[in-house]
Amino acid sequence: MATRLKPNSDSCVPVGKGHRESSQDQLRQDPILDVRDLSVSFRTTKAVDRVSLHINRGEIFGLLGPNGAGKTSTLSAIEGLLKPERGTVLVDGVDVQRHPALARSKMGVQLQATSFQAQLSIRQIVQLYAGLYGVGLSDHQITERLDAIGLGHEALKLFKQLSGGQQQRLSLFIAVIHDPVLLLLDEPTSGLDPQSRRQLWSRIEHLRDQGGSILLTTHSMEEAQAVCDRVAIIDHGTVLATGAPAQLIGQHRDDPLVRQAARGAVTLEDVFIGLTGSEIRD
Amino acid sequence: MTSAQSITTAPNTRLIFTSLLRADFIVFLKNRRSLILSILLPYLILVSTNSKKGTAHLGGSLFVIGLSITYGIASTSIMGYSLAVARDREKGVFQRLRVTPASTRAIMVSRLSVQILANLIIALVVVILGARIHHLSLSVGQYGLVLLVSILGGAMFLCIGQAVVALVKSSETVNSTARLLYIGLIFLGLLGQGGSLGQTWDTVARWSPVGTVMTLFAGVLNLSAWNSRDVESLLAAVGYIVVFSVVGIRWFQWEVR
Repeated sequence: MATRLKPNSDSCVPVGKGHRESSQDQLRQDPILDVRDLSVSFRTTKAVDRVSLHINRGEIFGLLGPNGAGKTSTLSAIEGLLKPERGTVLVDGVDVQRHPALARSKMGVQLQATSFQAQLSIRQIVQLYAGLYGVGLSDHQITERLDAIGLGHEALKLFKQLSGGQQQRLSLFIAVIHDPVLLLLDEPTSGLDPQSRRQLWSRIEHLRDQGGSILLTTHSMEEAQAVCDRVAIIDHGTVLATGAPAQLIGQHRDDPLVRQAARGAVTLEDVFIGLTGSEIRD
Repeated sequence: MTSAQSITTAPNTRLIFTSLLRADFIVFLKNRRSLILSILLPYLILVSTNSKKGTAHLGGSLFVIGLSITYGIASTSIMGYSLAVARDREKGVFQRLRVTPASTRAIMVSRLSVQILANLIIALVVVILGARIHHLSLSVGQYGLVLLVSILGGAMFLCIGQAVVALVKSSETVNSTARLLYIGLIFLGLLGQGGSLGQTWDTVARWSPVGTVMTLFAGVLNLSAWNSRDVESLLAAVGYIVVFSVVGIRWFQWEVR
């Protein structure tokens, strides 16, 4: 179902989508993540402008946009790292601003540039974050879990001694150490080789299949098209369109700017370029 | 990860704080070389002033011990603390911690607690070495008071370090700023306190952060001579703590944009 939102819409109600809209509305009533009318400003710059979106249980949702579009700011506001100028963020019904600790205990987060304390070993990092999320793990359990993600032999190493793929695996492992209902991933495949990327997507899909909900940002339209159940295209802090990749393609297939961007069959990337423009962003 | 089991309460605050403290303590133990270096300079001061002339020039044995402890805790608090915070901020360590249920207060209190422990160790080692080298006999009470002043002085230098890291964003610049500040404080203490820079600088040195803490250390090491100057130094130290902590908290940013 393609659900296009009007720019600056203060509501997430889809526009004209027939009977599937009502089933979507039913899901909407009990979303894992409910962002309403969110605005974030840095001094005079509006990074996020009245964004509304929701994520249902067991859904992979992609937040797509060019550099500086407001993806990371939106994510930061959801994580409670940025105080929004207006709007609310509910995670499993808990207001992030009012009950930050409870809301964060329901979220798993993998930041764009994650770094752990440089002096701690992998085992110590796992112990720290397990404690922060209130998860009691014995040494044996930590070893078992590290073995399960192929890092059992690296337990005594420092984070910086791991390869990029191993770092990413550990970051994801820590993000889900407490079985969160919502997982937030900021450009999770950035800088990974194809093998590591493929493996990461498998893990993300596995988490979704277990009933988890995932919100991620990515620059890879191919990956978003292949993996995300729904995506939102955001630019200049505003949601331009939201829906399932295939349906967004269907909806915008005949837009002149999308046709101009297409080289053959229309892809999500063509829709993205058509909606956000082709000029390079810094 | 499952949507079936929904978390209804935030993790226990005590468990969160214990986990943070444990991790910060491990980092502290792994950085023990910097602790040793923070003790080395005070030790060199104690040894190099182990003559009647040298000691008298700096105001006596008690002042020398006070000076040594002050430099020890100032180096770890101003340079060590501010640089560690600036580097972790730059790498995104704080942001990673902040997306967990741990409050920002718990994150900082844990760091400061370990730093205060470092200051206590430095103060204790230096006062024991100082008493031996300068042939002084100190009571248990005096050792206790030295530790109390080292907490106060350490808090003041930590607040200065916090203010530096709040006002300066880049870790490289924090590093050089903290070093310059530390060197400035050393010279102010050594030369100003000795009176070799004249009356004006003597007054500046006396009321500088280093001067107030040195006075307090000397005061508690010789309680019978405790006077209004010591009380004024105590008030000045509290004043510095208030001012620098306000600056350090008000302008501190958790990430470098």
